[in-house]
Amino acid sequence: MSNQIDRRTFLAGLGAASAIGFATKPLRAAAPVAPVSVAKCASYGSEFVTTAAKMFDQIGGLGKLVQGKTVGIKINLTGTGDRRWDYYGSGRSYWTHPDTVAGVIHLMDKAGAKRIRILEGAMSWPYSLAEFLLRANWDPKVLLSAGSNVELINTNMPYPGKKPYATFKVPNGGIIFPEIVMSTAYSECDVMVSMSKIKEHSAAAITLGIKNMFGATPCTVYGNKAGVDEPFPVPYGGRQEIMHDGSRPPTKIAAAEKDPKTPRQSGYRLPRIIADIVAAVPVHLTILDGIETITGAELPNANTKFVKPNILVIGTNVVNTDAVAAAVMGFDPMASKGTTPFERADNNLQFAEQLGVGSRDLKQIEVVGTPIKDALFEFRKVRAATPQPIPKA
Amino acid sequence: MAFSQSTVPMRWPSGPLDIARQSKVEGFTPAARTALERWHEPAALDFIKNSPVDCLVISWAGGLPEDAAQQKTIAPLVAEAHKRTLSVIGWVDGKVDSTAAIASAKAAGLDAVAIEGFTGKSVFPVITWADRAKTPWDAASPVLAVTDNVWTGVRGATTPAAGEEATEAGPTAAPWLDFNSWFVQLARARVSKPVWMLFDPPGKGAVITAQAYSLAIADQESRGGRWVLSLDEKLRAGLASGDAAAQKIWQSVSDTITFFAKQHVAWRNYKCAGIVGVISNYTGDNYEMSGEILNLSGRRDLLCQPIWTSRAATTPFTGLKALVYADTAKPAPALRTKMMAFVQQGGLLITGPGWGNEGVALTGAAAPQMYDVDRYDVRAVGKGRLAVAKSELLDPWEVAADVNTLVSYGNDLFKFFNSSSTGCNYYTVAPDGKSAVLHGFSFAPPRGVRTAWLRDKHLGAKLWTIGAAAPVPLKPVPAEHFSGEEYQLPAGAIQNYIALEFEV
Repeated sequence: MSNQIDRRTFLAGLGAASAIGFATKPLRAAAPVAPVSVAKCASYGSEFVTTAAKMFDQIGGLGKLVQGKTVGIKINLTGTGDRRWDYYGSGRSYWTHPDTVAGVIHLMDKAGAKRIRILEGAMSWPYSLAEFLLRANWDPKVLLSAGSNVELINTNMPYPGKKPYATFKVPNGGIIFPEIVMSTAYSECDVMVSMSKIKEHSAAAITLGIKNMFGATPCTVYGNKAGVDEPFPVPYGGRQEIMHDGSRPPTKIAAAEKDPKTPRQSGYRLPRIIADIVAAVPVHLTILDGIETITGAELPNANTKFVKPNILVIGTNVVNTDAVAAAVMGFDPMASKGTTPFERADNNLQFAEQLGVGSRDLKQIEVVGTPIKDALFEFRKVRAATPQPIPKA
Repeated sequence: MAFSQSTVPMRWPSGPLDIARQSKVEGFTPAARTALERWHEPAALDFIKNSPVDCLVISWAGGLPEDAAQQKTIAPLVAEAHKRTLSVIGWVDGKVDSTAAIASAKAAGLDAVAIEGFTGKSVFPVITWADRAKTPWDAASPVLAVTDNVWTGVRGATTPAAGEEATEAGPTAAPWLDFNSWFVQLARARVSKPVWMLFDPPGKGAVITAQAYSLAIADQESRGGRWVLSLDEKLRAGLASGDAAAQKIWQSVSDTITFFAKQHVAWRNYKCAGIVGVISNYTGDNYEMSGEILNLSGRRDLLCQPIWTSRAATTPFTGLKALVYADTAKPAPALRTKMMAFVQQGGLLITGPGWGNEGVALTGAAAPQMYDVDRYDVRAVGKGRLAVAKSELLDPWEVAADVNTLVSYGNDLFKFFNSSSTGCNYYTVAPDGKSAVLHGFSFAPPRGVRTAWLRDKHLGAKLWTIGAAAPVPLKPVPAEHFSGEEYQLPAGAIQNYIALEFEV
């Protein structure tokens, strides 16, 4: 991470900047940057492991990041796991692929990680993450045995023990929320990893490293049946009411949003909220899988199409990494709302950049490995060119 | 007239008695009256011509002044039914002298009479019927007839009229599914006589589709029970007026019954491959708890086998992964010993706090999973586990969910992908073990093409859909992320009910 502008230094400067009106003066030029690795990779399994290992070396080495540390890997298992694109397993189309999770655990274990936690807020799931995986026909033993000290934690449930939740303050007060409450499992991690498919999102335009962290917020606090005074004992449904729509505040253990008069629209709120989250909970490594994925949305539906871009994007700065991945998808990370792919949502990279998390400016980001132009896989064009809806049932 | 597993009964409301009853219901229309009059005529039997229905359940006595007129005016219909080799049962409810009802039915040439809670003796065939809570298990009735059942489907989904209850959801946002099959399974574990389930389609405002009827039929048939067909008012009126849409729905109903009662009779005797045995005397509070565990487990696709305590001593626990004992009273010593022997040999016993703790506490890595055992003290006993609830078992939903995860989804026998609202699925094996059937239910249109995953490998598979001329052969593909094999169901397999038949 030698090329990265020190974030603490940056935030100190940002503190001064906020006094003179941070919200109206984005400090993009000063936002941190770090190299982002792009590589072609056509398959899961050993090819992924070999390719990822090389990419980690290209961005400074995995050992430097994880040795002796507790690593939290936030994977992306959106939905309940019973949905598929066509007949394809969820890992091939919209979930983090199990082979990539196992491969990364293996590499981190080899690099000296003390403890590796696989974290996800399993939807409507009041039990362990292992059982959630089994229900979707994943084998949790493969993950648990890929390293010497691996844990699977459903962060939608209160963490066992006396302190179920931890509070993370958003630097400079945040945009929507001044602080974010999450499972204590997150606060016990030294290194945070965001690991997701490269895919589009119906409400936030793109799901990459930043959007993936949305699922880290516990539904017991931010979900549809979150208690008013106390967290609901079990997660219920999604986060539509509090997060997407802003129709009610979160449970009182979490701070209410700063300005309830802001638009109650998902396209306004989600990009800002996820920027708050990655500002509050720094992501130290982002691993984006575009070997196989879908275009059109984050979950299979009639508009989505299965695609095989054969790409991986990995970086230590989540905004930089998302910016490069967006470019690989054929999108301009500097684009504003109203332009592709942000027709219905603000650009979440913009807000993460404003909060000082990282730069989205490709001119400032060093891309190592495969150049963007060679990895380019234009999601919208591919989908439009060869319509391939789910066969009509 | 003997009533057998092959008898296909149909409720036949008509005539003065039903008109008198219905006229007290708000919204009773002239068209509905006309329909009840038409269905009272012998020619109405043409409505069910060429269907497998072979038994009419007519309204016979309700303790109303119209009883006499009903019994008198229905005689031509009864005669015509007999001419067509249909049997006729007289339905009796309300405050009626059962002796008189039996006598009048006998005099009118009916084949049987159905009387609520009848426990007397009669040479003339009497079918004893009752609500579930008072199920006449030991009555000398040729048929176990049970009322107070639910309309199969997503609760609220068929009643979209203004002011009606919207679709309900379970405690973790899954739609609330109503079905009766768990009760049929419970009944079949107790009696060998035919199990007839009585319930009517939802009332006014509901749109009952052909698929909804198929679900209602399959819900009972998949477990070897039988729904006493009951058509909604609109469908009956439509058939009476020769409406083509109504005839199409009726044809579908007829096809569904034919599918089960004629084409796949053998499936009725297939055995549930359930991995969890729920032991209970299914009486009073124990019925409320253990019956509901069966019901809610079915919703989760956790296959359970009801085991009556009276038969537990002679019921082998072979093939079971777990036992649930949630009765308030302690089991008899012999049964307790048998259950603990099951645990010693590697099984899991899930029970209430009254059991007492035995064995070695499981902690850390030895505990199955974090969270999942919070409500239970799980201990190692021999090769198995004993999970004793830390507090009284009060919430069946919670117990069923806990059982599901304590047993582990890793023991699932099957899963469906892309079925948007599923549950109640049922995997059964032929007595000779050479074939198996997975009854697949979908309570809403699928999200796309569906995949059926099965833990075990099979020698062959075919997909049956109601109304299709022949089954579709299926080839397995290995599951992508883990174990098992998958069957990719054709895009056209969108029916609410499908059956996968396997060669084992």
